[in-house]
Amino acid sequence: MHRQKLSLSLCVVLLVVAAGCGRKTDTGGTTGTTGTTGTTTVKVTDVKLGRAIGGDKAISDSTDKFGPNDTIYASVTTDGSAPSTTLRAKWTFEDGQTVDESSRTIAPNNRERTEFHISKPNGWPAGKYKLEVFLNDQSVETKTFEVQAR
Amino acid sequence: MGIFDKLRKHDEEKPKADFSDVQSGSSTTAAEPARPVPDLPPVTGTTGQSDTYVVVAGDSLSKIAKRYYGDANKWNRIYEANRDQIKNPDLIHPGQRLTIPGA
Repeated sequence: MHRQKLSLSLCVVLLVVAAGCGRKTDTGGTTGTTGTTGTTTVKVTDVKLGRAIGGDKAISDSTDKFGPNDTIYASVTTDGSAPSTTLRAKWTFEDGQTVDESSRTIAPNNRERTEFHISKPNGWPAGKYKLEVFLNDQSVETKTFEVQAR
Repeated sequence: MGIFDKLRKHDEEKPKADFSDVQSGSSTTAAEPARPVPDLPPVTGTTGQSDTYVVVAGDSLSKIAKRYYGDANKWNRIYEANRDQIKNPDLIHPGQRLTIPGA
């Protein structure tokens, strides 16, 4: 008798737990998304440098050697989706002197490209430069390039 | 003065490059993130009358229910009244015109 009662109690507990697991009490979905967590699942899959970009923000003239009057483009390819993610490009010269730093917050959906560019009307000093790309403040890719005196 | 001192002095005197006139910019194929919609006070005066609401970015049925009824758990009322255009209650789109049943 005691064992029967125990089994019955156990069944009731299991049923309550099972019902609780399948219960949906709220719909917190937001427009255009199926999740609400905002979890970032975005990766930087490629960074390319060059002198020009196309309409798809891809580099159309890829190089790592520039002239003093070139505009320098960096095309950052990301894969994945997130409601909000921030890309940052930090450009530095030789011993670490900061040339420029800019960021862009995007809502990527699958594969996207984001381009950053810098120019200098008075001409770039010849030397070695570095571009560091950050995804949500984490360094994810570094590219080096050179400006050659003409 | 030793040779190392001379080298150090030479390094210290080397002028830093001037990047003050650098211009920068960016563009992307990605969408801009949706701006957060401020929590609006509950709408009053809807008792017994249905209303029409146009969905904006960042909305959810819970959020709209909270605004109209003061209770996010009443999202199902809006869902039931708009079953013809809402297939998935977790997914509504900016620009959708929803019927809001009266309280």
